Amino acid sequence: MLDNIENIIRSSYVYTTANYFFFIYGLTLFGLYFSGVLLAIKGIRRTKRKSTFLQVGDIVSATDIPSVTLIAPAYNEGLTIIENVKSLLSIQYPYYEFILVNDGSKDDSLEKLIKEFDLERNDASFIQQPIPTASVNYIYKSRNKKYAHLTVIDKNNGGRADALNAGINFANTELVVCTDADCIIEQDAILKMVRPYLEANEKEIVACGGGIGIANDSVVKNGVLKELKLPDSIVPMVQVVEYIRAFLLGRMAWGEINGLMLVSGAFGMYPRKRVIQVGGFNPRTVGEDLELCIRLRTHMEDLNIPYKVVYLPETLCWTEGPPDYDILIKQRDRWARGLWETMSLHKKLFFNPRYRYMGILYYPYWLFFEFGAPIVEFLGILLIIFFGIFGLINWPMAVLLFFLIYGIGCLFSTTAIFLYVKNFDHYTRPKQVVELLLAAYLEPFLYHPVLVYGQMKGYYKKLFNIKSGWGTMTRKGFKISKS
Amino acid sequence: MNKESLLLSIEIVFSLIAIFWIFIAFSLLYRRIRTSQLRLIEETFADIVSRYLYNDPKNPLTLAEITRTLRNVGIKSKNSNNIQFLIRLMIRTQRTLLGNNFKKLQKLYTQIPPYGVSIKKISSWSWYSKARGIREIYEMNQSQYFDEIFKYRNDKNIYVRREAQIALVVFLGWESLRFLPYLKHNITLWQQIKIVEKLYDLYPRPELKWLHRAYETEKLFGKKLLMRIIRKYELHDETGYIIDHLNHYDYEVRETAIYCIQTFAVSLNKMNYIKELYEDIPNVNQQGLLLNYIFENSEIDLDFYLQQLYSDNEDLKLSIAEILWNNGYKEKVQEFYYQQYPKRELNVG
Repeated sequence: MLDNIENIIRSSYVYTTANYFFFIYGLTLFGLYFSGVLLAIKGIRRTKRKSTFLQVGDIVSATDIPSVTLIAPAYNEGLTIIENVKSLLSIQYPYYEFILVNDGSKDDSLEKLIKEFDLERNDASFIQQPIPTASVNYIYKSRNKKYAHLTVIDKNNGGRADALNAGINFANTELVVCTDADCIIEQDAILKMVRPYLEANEKEIVACGGGIGIANDSVVKNGVLKELKLPDSIVPMVQVVEYIRAFLLGRMAWGEINGLMLVSGAFGMYPRKRVIQVGGFNPRTVGEDLELCIRLRTHMEDLNIPYKVVYLPETLCWTEGPPDYDILIKQRDRWARGLWETMSLHKKLFFNPRYRYMGILYYPYWLFFEFGAPIVEFLGILLIIFFGIFGLINWPMAVLLFFLIYGIGCLFSTTAIFLYVKNFDHYTRPKQVVELLLAAYLEPFLYHPVLVYGQMKGYYKKLFNIKSGWGTMTRKGFKISKS
Repeated sequence: MNKESLLLSIEIVFSLIAIFWIFIAFSLLYRRIRTSQLRLIEETFADIVSRYLYNDPKNPLTLAEITRTLRNVGIKSKNSNNIQFLIRLMIRTQRTLLGNNFKKLQKLYTQIPPYGVSIKKISSWSWYSKARGIREIYEMNQSQYFDEIFKYRNDKNIYVRREAQIALVVFLGWESLRFLPYLKHNITLWQQIKIVEKLYDLYPRPELKWLHRAYETEKLFGKKLLMRIIRKYELHDETGYIIDHLNHYDYEVRETAIYCIQTFAVSLNKMNYIKELYEDIPNVNQQGLLLNYIFENSEIDLDFYLQQLYSDNEDLKLSIAEILWNNGYKEKVQEFYYQQYPKRELNVG
């Protein structure tokens, strides 16, 4: 048996194929990332220039701008629900509604909300449900005029996607923003997000995403981020770098060529009409944000209507990242399952010229380099072990190659940090920047292997049909400042 | 790939990382210096403006002193970034003032540097400079350059033509409706909003002759723009133009018409006409919006609602049932409900 394995491994066919495969895969990825950096630089510059001609102050004073509903699902968030709702109610936008969907919480969330916001129960018999959802029990509106823009929908549990769909059904505005109840949204975020919709010309905007930042250990006062701090521990600290890199380089670059397939569930804006047309979020996948974005794109391609998915480079929403390895693994496991489900639901796109670039380029990219990356990395580790055992590795060369790849990874992270520091004023103290750089350089050793493990765990569950839901995401919560 | 080339590649990569470190350090340092420099310019300019507007006879502010003070804080022709910042400050300050102070400030702007910066930008090859130049000219009300700007109203770059179109509104007011509804390119929603806002801010008295002439436009964006103007100025006598577009073939035009009509309460005759148009609207969401409008702005018309309840259009029956249920016609809703299920199919105790 062992001899057989040795013979297979030692055969020049396996050895050469493996070498070429990893080399070509790595080189393609490097080429894509490098192009991504160039596109991101162009995109950031263009977005900044464009914003000169559409300033937030002008939007605030205008009367004909589209109305927006912010929808936030909540499940068992009684501990922080009041603070979170107050935070989301304080967002600046002239025509703004906020719908909190209580997704069958088993704790005292609803009671707390009723008491704090003086909510009055209304019958839900006549509500329109263009998107089918779990049944809605009651609709609550505040008797206090101060909270006139707040609606609480109390429904039976159906999961995040189902709760968002219930909010979309009830909303009566042109645009909807989907977020999470525990996100801290920048006060002027909606004013900025609405810009692409106002400026849309020949192409309809079907989704708009903004940058999302990690704000563990930051200080929140009255629902507003008072002081942005870097996290104390390494896991969330590396996530700061990871998010900067992913959003500023990745999303910005894909946005530049209208290739964005994902608008994050934590903060995305959509035209309600289009979301209803495609049947809302898919409650049968845990990657509902990616799935909706792809479905919206597919829908527009089917209708043959020019469209765009837009990304804004600025961080508009702050969230709490997994504070430790256990929760990180659960999160990435879920993301991997969501990706698997979405890729499989939309497999008809694969090299399908009918869907133009989405079929020929964007979907295959996601399949090979987003879905495939953990598998390739895992295979790489296995092959190193086998090749090492059978003495097929030239170790001095391997070490040099490792340094090169490590250096390239660090280079991309450093570029992302530089672009962020140069263009935005969230991390301006030298100490913060040094910490970010250190986190970036430690990432391949202390963070990335865990990430691959989490992703592979998710794939394993899908492969062997092991049932798993969202998993419990225990969070520490932001530091609340009373002063 | 041999050892030497790998080593060289590693050297290049790590050198690039080191270069980025320098960039980051420079960026942090530059930000700090620049922030304090801009603060100094801002404070100096605020001081100049306040002293100029509320001149102290004992300590008069001369133009020479203003020019010298500005030069001392870095407003020099070679430093275009500082000049650009000063222009932004000038525009921002001007926006906050009204009446005599506004006029005084405009006079001051003609006498102090920078001179002719904005008009020079118009001849730039870069769309960004060009659009900024046009914007500065209309914001600073430099109407002498109107002819220069007018030719850019159909420019191929959206930002250039957009700024030129706003300039048209600023300088021509209602007369700009001679041109705006007939432009070559589409006008975006934001552009429509901005045109309406500028017109309303600067020319609050409507001049209907220009509006009536513009009604002839067949351009869809032109129709939307005119409806928004009618809405903003609350021109009740012109609501007929909006109503006529409620059943327009184009989705966006209908959407704008439904949005705009919601601002007005209309006569019984017009409301009856709207009810007639209601059934011609091919989109259920838009029908829903119009249904809300009809409900909120007219007495309950039982015949109209029953006709909708028993029509083939299934999508809005729930809303119609809700209206009837909450307004004293529960029995009509029950009747409708029961007639859907013939008795033989009912399985009641």
